[in-house]
Amino acid sequence: MTVLSVLRTAAGPARLAITHNSQQVAKMSDHRAMNIIPSRFQWNKFKDMLHLYFVGAAIPLLAGIGITNMMVGPATLSEIPEGYVPREDEYYKSPITRFLVRNFTRNEQMEYEKKMQYIWETEHKRQLRLIEKRVKKLMAERGDYKAWYYTPHIARKYQRIVRKETEELMERRPAA
Amino acid sequence: MNWARPCTVFWFPERVVVPNRKEYPWYHRSYNRVPTIDQCYTDDPVCFFEANEQWIRDRQVDREIVNILRQRWRDCAFYEGVDAPVKCVELQKISEDAETNFFIKYGDLSAYANVKDCYMKQKHRMLWERRHGPVGTGMKTEQ
Repeated sequence: MTVLSVLRTAAGPARLAITHNSQQVAKMSDHRAMNIIPSRFQWNKFKDMLHLYFVGAAIPLLAGIGITNMMVGPATLSEIPEGYVPREDEYYKSPITRFLVRNFTRNEQMEYEKKMQYIWETEHKRQLRLIEKRVKKLMAERGDYKAWYYTPHIARKYQRIVRKETEELMERRPAA
Repeated sequence: MNWARPCTVFWFPERVVVPNRKEYPWYHRSYNRVPTIDQCYTDDPVCFFEANEQWIRDRQVDREIVNILRQRWRDCAFYEGVDAPVKCVELQKISEDAETNFFIKYGDLSAYANVKDCYMKQKHRMLWERRHGPVGTGMKTEQ
């Protein structure tokens, strides 16, 4: 209990400073005062982010879209004239989409035909490989062609010598 | 829209913005007809690919057709309200016929169906009809 009463007397001047003089609580030597107020960090951060997302993103984009729609405007749907092949971007209505299609997108017809070419090429390779497989299988079965599964017999005289010596060696061995 | 007095929402676009714009066209893509799956050889994957793409486009067109016919019936029913079963009978019949035909052609194929599945479905249906009679009359048992 004495500890608490000691603390009470020690905190006296500070408590008085908080209640009567909220300007200068921290006892600093400089003339400037540190105002102790509730934190405004979240509010300031919110304003900062709101400003960024509006001024940096939303307002430029909306302004751009609004200006294109007012200056250039969407296209009108019409029949394809006889003998005319429209450009890729003439198949879309909005000028922004047309810009993107003109500059950044792949040509749909080109990609379709590339895909067909790829299918044809892989099918060609597949057929050739099937034929190879069949030929190899037949050569293995019949053994009548020199390409696969053929070990050529070269230097027959050395084979004969080795065979004769091996036979003599086997005869001289003790019967196991 | 025939506005007697200038209404701000429409006056500005109609009178100020639109006359200052140039009109320019856009088109719908037109696809050439390619051989269908029944005209392709079995070992021709390029022909199959093109037939498949065409079948996908045709299926989308058929879906839109069924949707439009159904929407007509629904609009009539919404307008007539209680009298719908009497007054919208023709539209109902047209819509239901379209749905039936769509189901005959594309129904019960999986989400990953291709044109060959659809073709085989037609073939099996014709076989079944040859053996058992028209669809809807029941299977014939062994006599």
